[in-house]
Amino acid sequence: MNQRIGGWRVALRLARREAWRRKAQTTLMLVLVCLPVLAVAAAAVVWRTASVSGAESVDRRLGTSAALVSGSGTSEVLQGVDPDGPTSWVSEDEHVATVDEVRGVLGADRELVPIAQEYLSYRTDRGVGDLVVTQTDLANPLTDGLFRLEEGRYPRADDEVVVNAVVAGRGPGPGETLTVLRRTPDGETRTDLHVVGIAASATTREEGVAAVLPGALGVPESQPAWLVGGDPVSWDDVRALNAVGLLGASRQVLTDPPPDSALPPEVVGDEPVDETRLTALLLVVTMVLLEVVLLAGPAFAVRARAQARTLALTAAAGGTPAQARRTVLASGVVVGLVGGLLGVVLGIGLGALLVPLAQRFLGTWFGPFEVPWPLLVVVACFGLAAAVLAAVVPAFSASRQDVVAVLAGRRGEGRPSRRSPVLGLVLVGAGLAAGLLGSRASGASPALVAASALLSVVGMILLVATVVALVGQVARGFPLSLRFAARDAARHRTRTVPAVAAVGATVAGVIALAVALSSQQAADERDHDPQLAHGYGAVPLDATADPTAVRRVLATRLPGATVDAVDGVRSDDPEAFVEVGFEVDGEQLVLPTSGVFGTAELVAGAAPAALGLDAADQERADRALAEGRVVLVRGADAFGPEVAGRVRVVAGERAVDLPATTVHPPGGLGAASAVLPPAVAADLGLPVVTTALALAPSISTAAEQDLAEALATVPGAGTLVVERGYQPEDGVRILQWVLALLGGILMLGGTLTATFLALSDARPDLATMAAVGARPRTRRRVAAAYALVVGLVGALLGTPIGFIPGIAVSRPLSRGDDGSTLLAVPWPLLGLVVIGLPLLTAAAVGLCARSRLPLVARID
Amino acid sequence: MNNAVLRLTDVTRTHGAAPHEVLALRGVSFAAYPGELVAVMGPSGSGKSTLLTIAGGLDQPSSGEVSVEGVDLARLGQEGRARMRRTSIGYVFQGLNLIPALTATENVALPRELDGVAPRRARAEARRALEEVGILDLADRFPDNMSGGQQQRVAIARAVVGERRLILADEPTGALDTETGEGILQLLRARCDAGAAGVLVTHEARHAAWADRVVFLRDGVVVDETGTDRADVLTEPAAR
Repeated sequence: MNQRIGGWRVALRLARREAWRRKAQTTLMLVLVCLPVLAVAAAAVVWRTASVSGAESVDRRLGTSAALVSGSGTSEVLQGVDPDGPTSWVSEDEHVATVDEVRGVLGADRELVPIAQEYLSYRTDRGVGDLVVTQTDLANPLTDGLFRLEEGRYPRADDEVVVNAVVAGRGPGPGETLTVLRRTPDGETRTDLHVVGIAASATTREEGVAAVLPGALGVPESQPAWLVGGDPVSWDDVRALNAVGLLGASRQVLTDPPPDSALPPEVVGDEPVDETRLTALLLVVTMVLLEVVLLAGPAFAVRARAQARTLALTAAAGGTPAQARRTVLASGVVVGLVGGLLGVVLGIGLGALLVPLAQRFLGTWFGPFEVPWPLLVVVACFGLAAAVLAAVVPAFSASRQDVVAVLAGRRGEGRPSRRSPVLGLVLVGAGLAAGLLGSRASGASPALVAASALLSVVGMILLVATVVALVGQVARGFPLSLRFAARDAARHRTRTVPAVAAVGATVAGVIALAVALSSQQAADERDHDPQLAHGYGAVPLDATADPTAVRRVLATRLPGATVDAVDGVRSDDPEAFVEVGFEVDGEQLVLPTSGVFGTAELVAGAAPAALGLDAADQERADRALAEGRVVLVRGADAFGPEVAGRVRVVAGERAVDLPATTVHPPGGLGAASAVLPPAVAADLGLPVVTTALALAPSISTAAEQDLAEALATVPGAGTLVVERGYQPEDGVRILQWVLALLGGILMLGGTLTATFLALSDARPDLATMAAVGARPRTRRRVAAAYALVVGLVGALLGTPIGFIPGIAVSRPLSRGDDGSTLLAVPWPLLGLVVIGLPLLTAAAVGLCARSRLPLVARID
Repeated sequence: MNNAVLRLTDVTRTHGAAPHEVLALRGVSFAAYPGELVAVMGPSGSGKSTLLTIAGGLDQPSSGEVSVEGVDLARLGQEGRARMRRTSIGYVFQGLNLIPALTATENVALPRELDGVAPRRARAEARRALEEVGILDLADRFPDNMSGGQQQRVAIARAVVGERRLILADEPTGALDTETGEGILQLLRARCDAGAAGVLVTHEARHAAWADRVVFLRDGVVVDETGTDRADVLTEPAAR
């Protein structure tokens, strides 16, 4: 025991002093360990600050009041600690809460400030926008904290309002008039209010927000609510409020919640564990740890090599192989401790800098600056673990070094293990099997898919040494620089293997994610259901709409656009009842009656272009309509048979069987069910009106919001629909770029580390080359060749390995209703990662490397 | 004679496998006794250094027996042989003997600390050893701040600390000037006179003159063994 303690003491002293002596090398090791810790620590600080806990949000929700009490809509209710959480309705009768009920529970002398929130509309510069309106007396101290006044003052009269910057930006500012619109089935009421100030809501940042005095906009439609002054509202008070159908968000209860045993069992439920998310998190942590270990591995290998004589001398002085391991591991401990602590400290600083930036982008109000210390301790330990793990392989290699050879000045690297490649192949096979099993249609398991990723990557790492040795053997015909680099890489496997493995693991991760993303995207594209012909838009019109007014807006906002009226029989008009159907197995199948054109039963002499029929179907439809036949529109996902020769049209009391021609629009359902010839509609006495306006060409996304706001001003105009075809999510596109960038950075980092460590290691060899007449550029060529060997071997190994988890993840993500799966290979990204990046890295290394050959004597 | 500190009996060391095997030592028998300094001489490649690494348990003979203070090294595992180097055997090499990251005291205290001796006591022992070799004033210096001769003195202090009885020196003066080299050999001689056994590998006759006996090796075979006084040729040292 004493020997072990003494051994660790010596090892740690040596590691500390070596770290100080070899400052440049130590800095590199620290950077490799510190950077991920820094990134995670900064993200943790931003995340913790961004998330507003129940207690933190109290002031934002309650102001300075003791509680916010609101009606539940019924006469008895059960709630948890927070009424925004799980609640249970005991009574089903409808009930509107009253002030007396609140006072009955909390005391007659309690101060109660009414507060209500409603979603209304307001006139913007371009049309109509959405508005969140709070009705309360913001001058009352109980409301302090709900809003922050930025300009002007709070409302003092019913015709005054404060708005936030979003409203001021799109419409009226201070001194101007805000027109608030309340739209109900009975019509629209308008209230003009005088804007007296700009105030920011504590809870809503990106939406339009306004605040008025209670009653300024009439009686709100929401349940009544009050801010309660006075003494704290206890949990017993909350239970008593619940008993009369009131919900209570109490400051005391939210900040000092009662035990779970005190809560009604109806509202206590365990949060279900999301196995997929947990597995994904574990996989990500493991892969990041693996990546850091592999990236830092070469630096520790070179440190161990540099310590070879020290270790041999220690052995000569009575040190055991275990002592050699301790000495190298102690380097990991020292670098890990310093790197972890440094990363956390710098991460907190970076987090503090990023918080305002993130707040701006995320569009929410963050909580007070917060440092999640327990999490940061774990992150620092992650850094320590990564550094120690990175030192494990060099430590074992060091303990097996030939002491006599090292003392005699020779290099003591042993032979590659014969078992490792076999085990590697077995693990890759196991990863493949786990991937196939985990992605089955029945019994898919995220844990197995995660295991497949881990097993195949670890298997690949075990194959690296053999592949590097093979590359060294086949280097005979290579040009000098490449031959030198390949053979040097093979000779110094403890340094080369982690670097190649780091590149391989990076590439595998990038390929896996890219394959999964591409396949999911392909599946989304396959499943996309176009509502209209590509590029077309449609504005449905209800019975109150004036098509001319809508046309006027369209002509103003989209000059030059083709606007076509789409006529049909209103599905929402009880006077114009119509059903189109056909017989299936003796029963009548009635087709849908509503659609994007305001109805699914169109009336036209020719099929509207907005249906998006292909040329043949368009011609058939037009001919059929001319011949007085009904055109049946059957999308790929339409229920029932694909084709029907006759249809039954039911119009009020009348039902007629008519010949039909079936056409197939793009997409699953199509924009309409049937098109009736005008003559048929007339025969049946159906009232034909314009139910929608179809417009072409396509509208830009930027113009769409302005047009939607302008259309919102026209009564009866529905929501504008624009068919843009399948649009990959921005997030996916950004993620693909991030992947390529991350892959590039990690590959560059891993390759650069290994290359420059190799160059410093190869100084005697380069000196020999200089002595026999090598040109100065040889060093550059060797550097570039070394980077190429590391990058290319890593990329070529990592690519097939990445496909294993990539396919395993893609299969469940892309599985269609018929069980078929898609595999989309992102070839451009693949080419970039496998060929482009290694060449780019080699070129960068070649350009960055000094060309002067070292003038040192050989020491070994 | 059973009181030899070091005894090699019919030791053979082969490197590689047939047909490319190289015989570094062939049937070498040899002993070193308390108070005796034995010089091993021979041309390059004769097996001198191999003999020393086998004697110190850093390498294993292909056949034959090596015992230190009566303990057969082959019977000890790697751990046991390391323990022998911490307690019984001291090494001095030609150069780069010291660990650059440790001070002179820490270098000397290394075997004691590895043996589990408390740091304070190990340092006290190290300082005594440094005092013995006359460089106590350099106790807190790092090797980079010492001359070659001073470094070799620290190496000798490390080889003798903890009262070790066998000192193996592989050309300890090879990188030193004549005067400094003489001083180092004087120290070795003094340590042997105090009761330790020493084996000095050298290829310089004037260095061998400090020894009680000289063993000549050629191609891994002991070709001659003589006292420095020609009259003592083949005389058992204990009989002298």
